[in-house]
Amino acid sequence: MTSTANNDRTEQMEIDASAKWPVLVFFGAALFWLLLGGALQLVAAIQLHTPEFLPQSAWFTYGRIAPAAQNALVYGWGMNAAFAFGLWLMARLSATTLRHGGWLFVAAKFWNIGIALGVLGILGGYSTSFALLEMPRFVTLILLAAYALIGAWGITTFSIRNTENVFASQWYLFGAAFWFPWLYSIAQVMLFRAPVRGVLQPVVNAWYVHGLYGLWFIPVALAAAYYLLPKILGKPIGNYYLAPLAFWWLAGTTAFAGGSRLIGAPVPVWIPTLGAVANFLLVVPVVIIALNLFGTLSGRYRALGGSVTLRFIFLSMLGFLFASLLNFALSMRGFAQIAQFTLLAGLRDWLILYACFSTAMFGAAYFMLPRLTEREWRSPALVKAHFAATVLGVLLLTAGLAYAGWQQGRMLNDASVAFNEITKSLIFWFTLQSVGLMLLLVGHLAFVINFVWIVSPFGSATTASAQIRNPPDLEIVKA
Amino acid sequence: MKNGLALLAGVFAILGLSWAGLLLTAQRQLGSLNQAKDPVDETLYPQPLAGIADEGRMVYQDLGCVSCHTQQVRREGYGADVGRKWGQRGSYARDYIREKTVFIGQTRLGPDLRNVGARLGDAAKPAEYEDWFYKLLYAPQSMAPGTNMPAYTFLFDVHPTAGRQPTDKALQLTGKYAAPTGYEIVPTARARELVAYLQSLKDTYDYPLEHNLNETAEKPKEGGH
Repeated sequence: MTSTANNDRTEQMEIDASAKWPVLVFFGAALFWLLLGGALQLVAAIQLHTPEFLPQSAWFTYGRIAPAAQNALVYGWGMNAAFAFGLWLMARLSATTLRHGGWLFVAAKFWNIGIALGVLGILGGYSTSFALLEMPRFVTLILLAAYALIGAWGITTFSIRNTENVFASQWYLFGAAFWFPWLYSIAQVMLFRAPVRGVLQPVVNAWYVHGLYGLWFIPVALAAAYYLLPKILGKPIGNYYLAPLAFWWLAGTTAFAGGSRLIGAPVPVWIPTLGAVANFLLVVPVVIIALNLFGTLSGRYRALGGSVTLRFIFLSMLGFLFASLLNFALSMRGFAQIAQFTLLAGLRDWLILYACFSTAMFGAAYFMLPRLTEREWRSPALVKAHFAATVLGVLLLTAGLAYAGWQQGRMLNDASVAFNEITKSLIFWFTLQSVGLMLLLVGHLAFVINFVWIVSPFGSATTASAQIRNPPDLEIVKA
Repeated sequence: MKNGLALLAGVFAILGLSWAGLLLTAQRQLGSLNQAKDPVDETLYPQPLAGIADEGRMVYQDLGCVSCHTQQVRREGYGADVGRKWGQRGSYARDYIREKTVFIGQTRLGPDLRNVGARLGDAAKPAEYEDWFYKLLYAPQSMAPGTNMPAYTFLFDVHPTAGRQPTDKALQLTGKYAAPTGYEIVPTARARELVAYLQSLKDTYDYPLEHNLNETAEKPKEGGH
């Protein structure tokens, strides 16, 4: 090992040590919400085929459990995991330690108290009924204050960077860190503080929902893929010179694509049309990103067998492609005429949150946590179980919901089919959905057990840091 | 890319443009949409919600009815909304200005409710369809067999009839859904508000302006000028 490599490794260890506790706290909280949100989601799914499941009380009614689950998964699991991963990656890529991490514990506490109050608020009947903004208004300020600290830490770490070049993952993290608070505050003001009237409310809501998925979850997932692929394969990103174009194009078009969720809705027709045009334009960045990522992987598919991180990232890339494809299809009027309002439309958002984003976070965690704790994963069997459950669950849900959604849409558009016939024909698919979600939950449980093992002070074999295989050196490509 | 400031400027510009281009423009176009006066009967439409219906809107909101029901009728020829008798016409933006919170929804696990107040009105007297809603909410299977709608029993009180006058709104259910002997099932205030709201959902007035704008243009006659 050369002395430069040795120095780099020491520097990385310093950075990892500074990020260790903030990352573990955020990730631990994320996993708590992943289990709780997953359980609530399963309960809601069961109620669709067995409506009498759970006592008939207002707290457990489907209309409250379903949004509570969604909020727990999006803000509890998704945001916490993104904070953990984003802060660590930003520190590593900026070659600087995460300073004054104590403040991040304060932020983590407030963020998670805010989510807990929000989820309880929805279950208790204080929901606003706006998609992904259901949490009662009183948690808004708690969340924004907590986020201000977390976002500021990410941005500050970036601005004191010790590197000359800014890598693709950093653009995506930096963008996401700015876009989320802006989207969230504007939506809060325009819907609750100084509410707009009539159908402008769904327009603001669609703009927010599309922004949250497209300008927060997708960028964070892409940041993981752009970092981990070359890191593990020891090979630069293929056609990297196109990556900046993809970044600006992706962000610029996604920001205008929200209206595509309102095809056929009672809004001026330019709103969905603009959204559809923006979605068509998204083809270019999606192709570039696929070239970048699959190009890096090409010829090295065998490496997938040796690294669970790579396998999860590969899954995330497929999720990204499929979600983009579905998003594209849903902005075509003919397709939307059938698929809108069905399980197929819900599948698009689930693919982004789970198949693209969550799998990327699992992959990142398998890479990051052994380095932070300087320990090995205790049970390789649980790692395998997690991956297998994820693959099976994702396949089952994607295929099942896509087929069922299409059938549902065709029947809805045939006025001669009575409504209860549609419900009856969906019962099988609802049951399948419960099975798929249960599989995913088993995978999460396996992951959580391994996580507890690796972070608990006893019972886990400590490895010398040298045992973590040093990634091969990258050649420096001048931009 | 090396320049942090350029990155910051670009990131801000993108969201700023989308906010101004999409939300502010829509607000300029629709923000001042008002009630329209019918030229014949000189009444303003849409008429505001009655107080009890507006209370019911909040019950609809807190129970998350929007998780399964939309409130938007797609125009004739796009989907089968009109064919399913979910409305006589597609919904217009103006229909929604009377509601403080608009629930157009995005999932149709249940039927569209935009005109649910008008649908049953064809067949029954108002008092009868109010009763229909109560029965549906208390025991969905009794009114819509095969549905997967949850029962909202918590919107009803079950209390003994001994020593008191029977309540006029008590539910007349039969078979396995009937109240136990000596008891009656009575809607709570929240149930009444919710049903008042559901009954208020009807866009039966067709605005001349929107009607003409949404009408498909006639094909020019062959050889015509």
